[in-house]
Amino acid sequence: MSAAAPNSSAFEYQTADCWEEAIKLRALWGEGAKLIAGGQSLVPMINLRLAMPAALIDLNPIVSSGPWLDQGELVIPAMTRHRAVLDSPLVATHFPMLAKAVGLVGNVRVRNRGTIGGSVSHADPTGEIPCVVLAAGGRIVVQGPSGMRSVPADDFFLTYLTTATDLDEVVTEIRLPVAGDQDGWGFDEVTRRFSDFATVEVAVSARSRASEEIPELRVVLGGVADRPLLLGEDILEPFRRLGADPQAIDEVAQNAANSISPESDVHASADYRRRLTQVLTRRSLAQAVGLG
Amino acid sequence: MPEQSFILNGKKVTVDVADNVRMLWVLRDRLGVTGPKYGCGINVCKACTSHINGKAFNPCAVPVSKVKETDEITTIEGLPDTASEDQRGPNGLHPMQEAWLERDVAQCGYCQPGQIMAAVAVVRRAQSEGHEVTEEDLDGIRNICRCGTYTRIREAIRTGEQSM
Amino acid sequence: MTEVLPDAPDVGSLPRTGETYNIVGTSPAHHDFIEKVKGSLLYAADWRLPGMLHAKLVRSQIASGRITRIDTSAALALPGVVAVLTAEDVPYNQIVENASGGLGEVTVSQPVLAADRVRYAGEPIAVVAATEPEIAAEAVDLVEVTYEETPGVFDAESALADDAPLVHEEGNVLVNWNIVRGDVENEMAAADVVVEGEYQSQHVEHAYLEPESGVSWLENDVVTLRISTQVIEHATEIAEILEVPESKVRVIASYMGGGFGGKEDMTVEPYLALVTWHTRKPARMVWTRQESMLASTKRHPFLMRYRTGARQDGTIVAQEVEIIGDAGAYPCLSARVLFAGAALACGPYRVPSVRCTSRAVFTNNVPSSAFRGFGAMQVVFGYESQMDQLASKLGISREEVRDRNYYVKGDTIPSGDEITTAVAVTQTRELALQELGEGPPPTASHKRVGRGFGCGMQPYGRTIWFRDHASAWLTLQTDGSLLIRSGVTDLGAGQAASLCQIASEVLGAPLESISVYIGDTALNPPAGGTFATRQLYMSGNAILRASHDLRDQLTGVAEDLLDAADGELAWQGGKVQAGGRSLTLADLAKECQQRGVNTSNLYTWRAPGGKFDPSTGQGGTFPDYTFGTHAAEVEVDLETGQVEVRRYVASHDVGRQINPVRVEGQIQGGAMQGLGYALMEDCPLDEGQAVSTLFANYLIPSSMDMPDIQVAVVESGEGRGPLGARGIGEPPVGPTAATIASAIEDAIGVRPTQLPITPERILKLLDEAGSAGAQTGEEQA
Repeated sequence: MSAAAPNSSAFEYQTADCWEEAIKLRALWGEGAKLIAGGQSLVPMINLRLAMPAALIDLNPIVSSGPWLDQGELVIPAMTRHRAVLDSPLVATHFPMLAKAVGLVGNVRVRNRGTIGGSVSHADPTGEIPCVVLAAGGRIVVQGPSGMRSVPADDFFLTYLTTATDLDEVVTEIRLPVAGDQDGWGFDEVTRRFSDFATVEVAVSARSRASEEIPELRVVLGGVADRPLLLGEDILEPFRRLGADPQAIDEVAQNAANSISPESDVHASADYRRRLTQVLTRRSLAQAVGLG
Repeated sequence: MPEQSFILNGKKVTVDVADNVRMLWVLRDRLGVTGPKYGCGINVCKACTSHINGKAFNPCAVPVSKVKETDEITTIEGLPDTASEDQRGPNGLHPMQEAWLERDVAQCGYCQPGQIMAAVAVVRRAQSEGHEVTEEDLDGIRNICRCGTYTRIREAIRTGEQSM
Repeated sequence: MTEVLPDAPDVGSLPRTGETYNIVGTSPAHHDFIEKVKGSLLYAADWRLPGMLHAKLVRSQIASGRITRIDTSAALALPGVVAVLTAEDVPYNQIVENASGGLGEVTVSQPVLAADRVRYAGEPIAVVAATEPEIAAEAVDLVEVTYEETPGVFDAESALADDAPLVHEEGNVLVNWNIVRGDVENEMAAADVVVEGEYQSQHVEHAYLEPESGVSWLENDVVTLRISTQVIEHATEIAEILEVPESKVRVIASYMGGGFGGKEDMTVEPYLALVTWHTRKPARMVWTRQESMLASTKRHPFLMRYRTGARQDGTIVAQEVEIIGDAGAYPCLSARVLFAGAALACGPYRVPSVRCTSRAVFTNNVPSSAFRGFGAMQVVFGYESQMDQLASKLGISREEVRDRNYYVKGDTIPSGDEITTAVAVTQTRELALQELGEGPPPTASHKRVGRGFGCGMQPYGRTIWFRDHASAWLTLQTDGSLLIRSGVTDLGAGQAASLCQIASEVLGAPLESISVYIGDTALNPPAGGTFATRQLYMSGNAILRASHDLRDQLTGVAEDLLDAADGELAWQGGKVQAGGRSLTLADLAKECQQRGVNTSNLYTWRAPGGKFDPSTGQGGTFPDYTFGTHAAEVEVDLETGQVEVRRYVASHDVGRQINPVRVEGQIQGGAMQGLGYALMEDCPLDEGQAVSTLFANYLIPSSMDMPDIQVAVVESGEGRGPLGARGIGEPPVGPTAATIASAIEDAIGVRPTQLPITPERILKLLDEAGSAGAQTGEEQA
């Protein structure tokens, strides 16, 4: 007990051993409740008094059975640890971008404790997982007192640490459309220090389409806005005009950099973030369409 | 104030302290166990690294109420007793501590209890998974040493691992 | 201009124990190591005293302003609060730090607690003492301070403007050093080439893991402090503040959890002393990490402008240097830091004509003060950049331009001092480059690999006009064990352990039979603080001589008992031997007791003294220097600006290694800190306010960010420390930034001139050089 450490506010601590229990507890505590899975993001925030929950609902007793395939989707239960994703042959085969991104999440300790559902729910705009889920065009399955619903990733990430999950809901699964043989992907990030938060990151998925020469591109920027940013059609326009060639990649990268208004902080200026956006968009796109 | 009980270095302890007080201050100020050090209070420097049920944790970030009566907390002071007698080295210490002496790791020494506890946890986990400590495992140790003893820390973990 | 005092025998006349040593040159573990790995070594914050209060500071929230009101009533009304002290409660509310010994600076005092004006964000205004730490924290928030903000000045160059707001009425320039030699105008005009450069360094945080901390109590009416400090001699200032005789203040230094210069000025001590003096109760104060980041002293940002003139063959003929150091709001040790910068501004190179001005300038930033390297490290970035520029301008190699100019023993440095020991900088360079070798090509088409090196020259020992001295006291006890008492403080570099090793060597007492008591103003003879890489030099020489004198005291009795001839005795393994006969130290000590022969020796060693004349800029400066070269290979990403240090070698001439493992540890650790300084670490301030005080946001490199530091030691056998040793505490931090900049320039063709060399700054350089666009095109091709 000492002034030498910032004490956090008092909170109730409760455990849930199934989703139904978690939902019940969440309803009971309402706005003041925070769900804790791996605790790799939440605990530091509580320590810094950036989060002051009235109650912590510990989801760790909920057993996860690991990723599986279901009708063209890779299903990852929310409580799956990053480590399990990294070690999963299914992920390596059907969603290599996720494997790469998860490998860059925090460090070994964070990966051993942290969960996929936790990363998605936490919605840190510099987080690798939200970027990838959005680039993949995945869905987030949430469960509440009135049942289950699935939210497209496009509509899920709202702003800093805020998602489309209602107060009485919990994230139970992430579902990603399985990548085909002809599909490409790209992921790149820059950090100031080993295992630190990304300054900027870019995730790209390139889905080949039978009817068209140009793949369907989804390009997501992390660390440059209040949420992972999915680039719009207007920014990707050079691809339609020029096809998947180096010139198009350059133009898209330039458009991407021009389209954002990142913030400056102790680690990087807005200008540098814009610059990185251009470079990383170009690199990830080139990788995704096989020109890297 | 509520009573909080747990097992500290093999002995049951009970303290009267508010729920939200961090374990670091319970250990240091209430129980006089000062091996775990304060360096940042936000689980960044990790100078307080200790074990809960054999796994590394940072008491500066854990409220005492989260620790259960049956939880076994081990600080650097209790580490030698976790090694069997024939494992202990010439100074009667845990093999990892002996390795630290052998490799002459410490400079100012302030971060070293935490480094040693982190090292022991990493080796235990690797052993439970049936492999030797990998480079990636070592990279996962994020304890800060401002004297810059990292090279020797890594050497010492390799040495200590052999006798654990 | 080095003046040798009568009682200061020169290095050459030292009684040496011969060229081979038994204990010196080996690497036994420190006596404190076992306690450190057991976690049982008690640092300052680990002490608890019965009934102690918890003290906490109220700090200024603004960088510049007047205090119009301090209301402590709400804080005092809080149950558990015992005292809230403000400026009115400080008997003598001034800390006067004439860091240069009053040679050059204006006298400006720093209040212990700000009374009417605050000059930096974080400045102490009041100290609260309460029965529980959280009550103290709450009370701090209840102290109401009303300010009237006044315009501040936040960078040193702006503070020099005529219309700049005055940080102190005495003016914004604390000191202006001028070192002048030869005829700069004419030599520069006659030079074949002239190169110019401007270089900038940043605020750097010491970031010792142990925050500023300590406890205090009253014992026999003596205010006693057990604290984390490099300098127990601050007891003098504490006595002044309390207006009590020096004999009523006792300072005990615990083993430190790192200091690096940051615990050279006072930190917690005046506040603890005030609380205990007023309340008559024990107290504890531990700064939080955030407090430490906000308000502890930092390394000076230097702005350095260089002009170097040379002949076609690379021989330097003249150099002009202007240094402006941001002292922050109060003097601290700035005057001496800027002196070291001036004295070392030309590095290990012979420059016949020099004009160097070096100013310490007040701003409303957090005070800057001592930090490993102490002014002499910042200038390495300047002079080494100039050497590389010169090489490329002349079209000769970086090695050749240096070979033309390196000092040799006997040369005169710009201040007029002579170099009296070996200059083995060439050997360190050759070793470093040889160890570095050449790594693989770049790993991607948008990356470039480069190699570079930097040489450095760092003084050890205090500036010689302080007439530095250190004492050591040795006692051989009747059981043969040995006591060492010395006022040194131990930063973790083995300051105490080295004394044991030297005494053991001379007296043959096994290390395990030696106990060393350090860092106590009451019970130890003074050794001076642990800073300026001076303890091995000063206390090492003191203990060496004390050991020899003690041995001389014992020799007559031993010769008699062993029936030995003059010079026949061998002292080893706890025994004295001669002609196959031997005697234990215990028996010898007992016999000495019987015969009334003294078995103690207290020796005060005085370093060579000298004078410096600030008006001519000529005179004595430092006792001696440690030279070295670092070499690095980097890989630079041309598009993101990221720099990966692939390999790093650090080589220094340490004269003689007392403990090789410890020497290697110092070099590795110093280089690691230097790499953080070169590439990552910065304390950005916005109008004097810290942009972040979170430890998580201060980028200290870990082993994952940097390669292992390879160490290559040179032992020239010449140094002014004991047995020819040189100091090695500070030197390894010096050449890092210049080395990295040199390697980066080799990789990308442009030279970084501003620290830290962030990816962002690399891109800016590439843009300015107009090469970034071209490289981008190349990758696409």
